[in-house]
Order: sequence, then structure tokens, then C-alpha cells
Amino acid sequence: MSYALYAKRIGLFLASLLFLAYVLAPVLWLVSSSLQREANITSVPPHWIPHPLTLSSYRAIFTAGDSSAATGDNASFVPSTAQYLLPALRNSLIVAFAVVVLNLIVSVPAAYAMAKIRYIGRDLSVYFMLATRVIPDIALVVPFFLFIRKLGLLDNLGALIITYLAITVPFSVFMLLNYFESLPDELDKAARVDGCSRLQTLLRVFLPLALPSLVAVILFTFLASWNEFLFALMFTQTPASQTIPIIVASLTSDFTTSFSFINAAGVLAIVPPVIIAVLFERYIVSGLTAGAVKG
Amino acid sequence: MAQIRFSNVTKRYPNGHLALEDLNLQIEDKEFLVLLGPSGCGKSTTLNMIAGLEDVTQGSLQFDGAEVSAVPAHKRDVAMVFQSYALYPHKTVYENIAFGLRMRRHPSAEIDVRVRKAAQALEIEHLLERRPGQLSGGQRQRVALGRAMVREPAVFLMDEPLSNLDAALRISMRASIKALHQSMATTFVYVTHDQAEALTLADRIVVMCQGVVQQIGTPDDIYERPANKFVANFLGSPPINFIDGQLERDGTTLQVRCGGISLALPASKTFQLAARVGQQVTVGLRAEDVDEGGTESGSGADCLITGEISSVLPIGSDQFLGVQCGGQGMFFRVGKERSFSVGERVELPINRSRLHVFEASGGANIGVSDESRRVAR
Repeated sequence: MSYALYAKRIGLFLASLLFLAYVLAPVLWLVSSSLQREANITSVPPHWIPHPLTLSSYRAIFTAGDSSAATGDNASFVPSTAQYLLPALRNSLIVAFAVVVLNLIVSVPAAYAMAKIRYIGRDLSVYFMLATRVIPDIALVVPFFLFIRKLGLLDNLGALIITYLAITVPFSVFMLLNYFESLPDELDKAARVDGCSRLQTLLRVFLPLALPSLVAVILFTFLASWNEFLFALMFTQTPASQTIPIIVASLTSDFTTSFSFINAAGVLAIVPPVIIAVLFERYIVSGLTAGAVKG
Repeated sequence: MAQIRFSNVTKRYPNGHLALEDLNLQIEDKEFLVLLGPSGCGKSTTLNMIAGLEDVTQGSLQFDGAEVSAVPAHKRDVAMVFQSYALYPHKTVYENIAFGLRMRRHPSAEIDVRVRKAAQALEIEHLLERRPGQLSGGQRQRVALGRAMVREPAVFLMDEPLSNLDAALRISMRASIKALHQSMATTFVYVTHDQAEALTLADRIVVMCQGVVQQIGTPDDIYERPANKFVANFLGSPPINFIDGQLERDGTTLQVRCGGISLALPASKTFQLAARVGQQVTVGLRAEDVDEGGTESGSGADCLITGEISSVLPIGSDQFLGVQCGGQGMFFRVGKERSFSVGERVELPINRSRLHVFEASGGANIGVSDESRRVAR
């Protein structure tokens, strides 16, 4: 191997390391600082490796609802809304799972119909659906709010589920539509001649082939609902329906601000998406490129 | 086993495109019917309507006398083979073939027997555990055939099943399909744009163009007595030569005069054409209808094509001659015994009993009796 080729490889390797560090450093600092005492976090230079290592912030989260529980090293810094973290985590999970499931139930048949059934107004419905997504969310907050209030769903998880479906379904349909369109029409015809109804064609032939796209849609929908902030802030008022981004944000606006506690809450908030991503990891790459080439 | 009947069927797509206009066609039980035409002529639409994959916009479609236009595809007893094979990529060959039977809830022991029998007949037993992605084109074609034949359907539909295969394989598969029709004793409807396939396979051929049936008849009818210029032009390789001219009377016989040449017509056509003397007509002249020896009755000095050779194309058994005659290029097929050279002037005697005469304007074949034209339609 020539010297130039070596140099090129080393260069590429270093560049990748740099990129990796840039992407991962904030996450590493989040994890590291959540395991440190408040005093160590603010020290200069910062300690990347926690010393001494403490789980007190996590202990505080899990005991925050219980006023009689013993407090740890960071006791004085635990914010008053800390007790809502675990209920918020539960709310977020309920909303995200409900949105993922309902979204699939709606968008899979819709995408199949738009891709494989010729009906009057088909193109128009695709454009119209996508047009709803070029409107910025902030413009939709007030109309959505009025709707939700009229439905009597303010401060209810149902409000968030409905709203997130409105946001995620058009994108999901679009992703699946592209993939279904890339599958040959003759496959659809073959299945129907072989004795499948439209629904059976979708379930027995198209869905197994669309698995990578489905996974991409599941991840996208889960993350979109998990991370959503604006609508959640507007439509939820009490811990009964507040989701994790709202509670984590509220931790910064208390009388005292505990970095270690906020960071521990942050770690907790990224755990579910990371688990989902790891579970579906082997499908992600193929899902993102799915539809690019004829299947 | 089924007889299929189209009565005044029209198909219009949602975008307004008229794919099929007033189709009347009866396909007999156990018949091998070929729908032949250029792409976009409505032949695949016709096939899809039989399968139930396209709705009938207007008219009636019956199987054995029962109206089926409202019956969805999965409830009709038809099987179909597609041009792209359309195998399920995520299923093994075995499951591909078994799928139609599974959807119809046959017991799995019976499915196993039928799948293995079909695989044996198609010589694909060793491929049953593979997936379609691991097969060659010819093997995939066999799996697609197996998937259809295992169902033992009332109607067997094929949409250009051989056009993705290479030439040699295509010819051997033609023989397999013909044998399959004989062994299955069921109604076959076969779509193709390949005239050779149509002529070799069909009991009857339906020639279509732009959604309208041009002619229905046996391969012999279609080739020997084309109903119009379109049909005459679509069949035959190289394509038929057309010469425009005027119909004239010359004593007792009729002749067509165009430019410098005149072609005498056979006495058999005098009756049909006598009333049209003086009209503009088009003479159709198939490439192989050169009577080189001049031995055939009905050819001779009064039916000659004279011109200059513009190309000589040997094809092994014969040779094609490109001839410039009266400013018009024509192709003829002659034996290879005689050698020709480009630029040479030739006189080719034409077998006049095989000339076709068409209306110059409408294109209808006016050289055949009304009786045979009626049968042809």
C-alpha cells in the first residue's frame, strides 16, 4: 500500500473520530454530569469522569413523590416539580405508543390505497395531505387549541394523541406511499388473482415487503411524539397530562436550578427512544433508503 | 372450464382515456384465444377485466352465462401469469406456488401433493426452497406458470408471459405452454404483441388496435384474409408491402396501375372488385409472395415488380431484398440460390393469387367476399 493511501485512511479515521466526538460529546456530558455532585459539575476544568460518582440525582427522582424519604447529597437542589417526572414519563410513553399504533392503523391502508388503487382525486389527495405539513406548527396552535377546548379535551392525553396524529400521519403516509409505489403493480394483481381481498393483499404481501419502511415510520412517529414540545405546552396544564419535555423544561424555571438533577432527568428522557432505536437498529438504514430502488 | 362472453363492453379509465370500445367477443370453453396488438391497444385491459382487476365501465361480462362484472378478482376462478412474473419476493418457491391454494383454504396435505406435482411437471422440484431472487428468468417463469396451474382454474390468463425471456427460451416455452393447454383442458386467454407467438399458439386470434377489435379469426384467416390494412401490416415479417394505385379494367381482367407498373389481379377477385373500377386502392403484397420460378399458375409477365435493389440481407435460409420501385421501398423474401447485388435492376414475378386489395381510404380488405369478411369480423 502506498504512503498516500495510508495518509488518506488515517485522515479519514481522524475526521470520523472528530465527527463522532462532536455528535456524542453533549450526550456523554449529560450522562457524566448526571452522575456528579452539583459542586463538581460547575468546577473548572470539568470532570468528564465523575469523581466521586453519585446516584443521588436518580435517587431523588425516584423518591421525589415520597416526601418522607431520606434526601441525598443534592437534597437542597431538588426542584418542586421533580415529583412529576415519573408520571410525565408514563404520560409520554402512553402518548407515544398510542400515536405509533393509531398512526399505523390509519397510514398503512391510506398509503396502499393511494399507491395501488386508481380513483378520482387520487393525486389531489396526496398533494392536499402534504400541503397540510408545509404550515408551521405555530400557526396551527390557536385553531388546534380551540378545537381541543371544544372537544373538552384540554389537559387530557387524548388531546395530545389527536394532535400528534394530525402531524405524523401525512408524513407516514408519504413515506409508505413512496415505498408501495416502488413495488410493482403486477404483485398487487397477482395477489388478488391468487385469492386475496384488498386487505389481505396489503397484510399478506405488501406489509412483509414494507417492513423496513414500517420501522422507519414507527421510529419517526415515536420520536416526533416523544419530543414534541409546543402543543404539549399549550394543551396540558397539570401533571395529569404533562409529558416529559414539559416537566424537564419546568425544572429550569424553579427557584433553584440543579444541573445534576436536570441532567439525570434528561438521561431518563432519552432512554426510551434509545431502546426503541436499538431494537430496530438493523432495519433503520434499509428503511431510510427504502423506495430508492425498485424492490 | 368456462365460456367467457363480452357483450358491448366499454372501458374508460378515471382519467378519461377510452381503453376499449364496444367489445363483443365470445371465448369458447377450452379454447386458446390470443389477444394480439401493439401496446396500448386494449388487450391487457381486456385480460384484466376477465381477471376482475379492472372494472367494466359499460356492458356485460359473463362466465358460462352468469354475469361476473361485479365479482371481485379473488372470487373468480381465474389464474394469471404476468410479464414480470410477479412472484412474491419474501416467499419461497414452494410458498409462491402454494399461496393461491392456501388463500382458498385447501388442506395442507392436498396443497403439498399439488405443489409437488406441478413442480415435477415444470422440472423445478429442486428449486422449491429457494426464493425468487435466487432464480434465473426462465426458472421464475416456470414458477409463475406453476403458481397458476396448481390452482386448476376455470380460466387461465397470460399477459405477455414470454416477452422477458431470451429468444431460444421463448421458443421452447411456447411449446411448453401449448402442451400445458392440451393437458389442462381449460380456457386460455393469452395476450401478446408478438405475431409469431400468436400464430403458433392460438386456436383463434383477436387483433386489436386502439381499443377496437380489428379482426377475430383463426391464425390462417388472419394471415391469409386480413380484414384490413392494419391487420395485414401487423402480421408478417418483414411487414407486408403496400402499393397505392388505381383499379382499372383491362379486357376481362382487372389491374392496379401505379406509377410505372401495373399488377394484374386474379380472376377470383373480379367479382368483388368490378364495381370499384376507377377507385383508388392499396395493394398488399407479402414479402414471401415472389414467385421466383414463375411456375405457379396466376403469375407471369403481367404481374411484375420491377425496380432497383437497394439492399441484400441474407438470413441463412433465404435472403431479404430491399427493392426501390416507383420511388417506394419494398421488401421481398427470395431463395438464396440466385445472387443479387445492390444497384442491380430486377423483375420479380408476383404470385398474383396472393395479392390483397384494400380500400385506399378506409383500409378495409375489398378483395374478399362479403361472406368471408363477415366471418372474419
